[in-house]
Amino acid sequence: MEVDRAAGEASTSQPFDLEPIVRLENCKLVSQGAEARVWETTFCGRPCIVKQRFSKKYRHPALDRKLTVTRLKQEARSVLRARKAGVPTPALYYVELEASSIYMEKVEGRSVRHLLQDGLLDDAGVARVMADVGRLLALLHDGGLIHGDLTTSNMLVRESDGAVVMIDFGLSYNSKLPEDKGVDLYVLERALTSAHSHLEGLFDQILASYKKHSKQWSATFNRFAEVRLRGRKRTMVG
Amino acid sequence: MASFELEGHSSSLAVLLFRDVTNCKDLRQLVVSGRVNPEFAFINAAGVLGLLPLQLAAHKALTNNSRGRLVTKTLHAELVYNLSGSKHIGESFKRFGVGDDTRHLLVARFDAAPEDLAYVRGLVRGAEVPLEQLADLADGGAAAKFFKIGDHELAVGSAEEAVACRIAVRDCL
Ligand SMILES: Nc1ncnc2c1ncn2[C@@H]1O[C@H](COP(=O)(O)OP(=O)(O)OP(=O)(O)O)[C@@H](O)[C@H]1O
Ligand SMILES: [Mg+2]
Repeated sequence: MEVDRAAGEASTSQPFDLEPIVRLENCKLVSQGAEARVWETTFCGRPCIVKQRFSKKYRHPALDRKLTVTRLKQEARSVLRARKAGVPTPALYYVELEASSIYMEKVEGRSVRHLLQDGLLDDAGVARVMADVGRLLALLHDGGLIHGDLTTSNMLVRESDGAVVMIDFGLSYNSKLPEDKGVDLYVLERALTSAHSHLEGLFDQILASYKKHSKQWSATFNRFAEVRLRGRKRTMVG
Repeated sequence: MASFELEGHSSSLAVLLFRDVTNCKDLRQLVVSGRVNPEFAFINAAGVLGLLPLQLAAHKALTNNSRGRLVTKTLHAELVYNLSGSKHIGESFKRFGVGDDTRHLLVARFDAAPEDLAYVRGLVRGAEVPLEQLADLADGGAAAKFFKIGDHELAVGSAEEAVACRIAVRDCL
């Protein structure tokens, strides 16, 4: 399977650098982001992803530690909350706070970003995936969860059944406010425009499905429209 | 009997399953009075929805042990406690430990020697069966209720995964 590589090329078999006691062998680095490294390994005999947050040198160490732990806990709690709302996510296996790591099921598949950019879906495939994304966001938002980082890299399409699986809840938080849902959707719209400008109407397909599945559509949509207007004004001013 | 390698710990976990055990009351007495030697984890199989939760609980017990951070008195008690996904120790033992009314029993030990297994086979009065039968012996309905696993969640993953998530999230609550 191919995995998106966020930044830099993957190196192999690097041990964790944050005093973790669990030293898994055969760890392979699959992604190096701004805040976390993502490793692939085997855990409990299953293909497993380990996401390890690392410290930020510019932050005060104690503050940094506290922030990292808070985010880690929130990420794990949100994954469970999403699943309870019926949104597919990788199953959680283990949260090792001391090593700032979350162990989870490895989803075999590719990111929506990858599939769209490489033109690996036909029109019907695109429509199906966008409809699924809209439905899942409606479930997430109606369940009181804001993803916080909605991009096509953070949605995987599972190879076995084609289902969309949401990942990367590192910036998620609980809220039922239409404003927060509106911003979440606006972030996605912007991400789609910048990553997939050659494809038109993606966001409209998502929104149409969201409308169909959300019980709080009108409040959310009104707010989203305002957020979008604010955003456009800001870009025009510069 | 089956043995699982616990990656990253150079340890293994031996697991035995017994059905229709008739001396659980006595076993419970032995456990609480600390007279099981060497130590074993005696687990009520009714609450265990698969081997994944068991392996995760074992991993967690080993990691916390190596950090000197066990919440319970022993490594094997910690394994039982970890199965519940709850921070309530008493409640966890009541649910997942051996009780007077336990019917089917899971027995587990880290790095078990053959003579350890012979010892525990001598203690338990019940039919040892293949571990594959765990799925039939567990009480799915009661466990789903205890873990609060709803239909939405079962639409996106197995009950076993749902339990795994709760065990993982406990330290994040
Ligand atoms: N459970 C998983 N199964 C398969 N691949 C995964 C899984 N989790 C993460 N990945 C891969 O690793 C990449 C980075 O993961 P994630 O988005 O959670 O971390 P991140 O560092 O926050 O990323 P970002 O660069 O968006 O900040 C994903 O884009 C995906 O390709
Ligand atoms: Mg990401």
